[in-house]
Amino acid sequence: MNWNDYEAVWKRQELPVGADADLTALKETFETKRRKLAATLLIRDWTEISACAVVVAFYAWFWRSIGPSGWPMAVAMLLILGVAGVFLRERRRTRRKRLGADAPLLAKIEADLAELRHQRQLLLNVWAWYLAPCAGAVLIHVGVMIRRAKPWQATREPLFLLGFGLCFALFLWFAWAINRRVVRKQIDPRLAELEKLRRGILTTE
Amino acid sequence: MSSSLDHESPFQRWLEEHRGIVVKVARSFAQSPSDVADLQQEAMLQLWISLPSYAGQAKPSTWIYRVCLNTALTWRRGTVRRERRIEPGADLSRVMAEAATPAERVGERELLEKLYTAIHALPDFDRALVLLSLDGLAYREIAEITGLNENQVGVALTRARKRLAQLLKGVTDELE
Repeated sequence: MNWNDYEAVWKRQELPVGADADLTALKETFETKRRKLAATLLIRDWTEISACAVVVAFYAWFWRSIGPSGWPMAVAMLLILGVAGVFLRERRRTRRKRLGADAPLLAKIEADLAELRHQRQLLLNVWAWYLAPCAGAVLIHVGVMIRRAKPWQATREPLFLLGFGLCFALFLWFAWAINRRVVRKQIDPRLAELEKLRRGILTTE
Repeated sequence: MSSSLDHESPFQRWLEEHRGIVVKVARSFAQSPSDVADLQQEAMLQLWISLPSYAGQAKPSTWIYRVCLNTALTWRRGTVRRERRIEPGADLSRVMAEAATPAERVGERELLEKLYTAIHALPDFDRALVLLSLDGLAYREIAEITGLNENQVGVALTRARKRLAQLLKGVTDELE
């Protein structure tokens, strides 16, 4: 038997004819997915940006309430605005038109790979663009509070400071660990699959 | 939803003409009947979503192959763990039995069944190439679908055919 025999058998296979797709169900699925995606994007865009806006507004109010001695709050506000800027840049990237399912296979795989590598880099560098600036802003805020506190107030207690420091460090570690886990469990395996697929396409020997 | 109404009739027409592409891709990339049905549904959904961006540069069949193969490659990646638990070809005979007509010879049906089993055993991209080649597409069309140039298609296809032939070696000896 040769290739032509396979081809003949392949072409003679019985296939369903006609468009028996349930168009109503298809449209419903599409609409449900579209609505769900739009809601997810809206929530994600607004929660991140509005959280930053609320924190900046709170810091501005705090600075105003304590007067000129609260000037380090300006640095804290700038740090939070920087984080908001990264979120905005990423949202703009997400909304840019991407290669659709009708792109050539190799181009689609390469575009998916590039996107995945970008996501991986963001998650691995979460310290630099998210955790460190947020931690810096919180520490500045706490520092200003401690400096203004009276000697008998709880904020000056070493035990309070130790407890706060530990909880804060634990929270930062947890946020970092979650991001590492996403990279390890989701992004890396998918990246490996796509790279294998790409290698399979481009290997010509 | 005027845009949805705009592409409703071409979608129906294309499905009438090219439904076979969706089915063959689904059968080649999924194994159990429920997975085949899932993949067909997903491919049709992607066709529906992508149709407004069809600009007419490619033949409808070429464009449909692209959408279906991109969907199949992504879909399989998502379900690979589930598929590993299924014995290769375990449910294929049922899928093929559904497709069989009394006119089909038993030997031919068996060969088709083995052909699908062998296709399932190929690496993802070889699978896509073999499918396109079995459907009689020219190198130029395969290049358009895959994004490779014609020379690369030729080399990759030769390699894929060799792999398929090796997988089918025992089978064809048995059937001859």
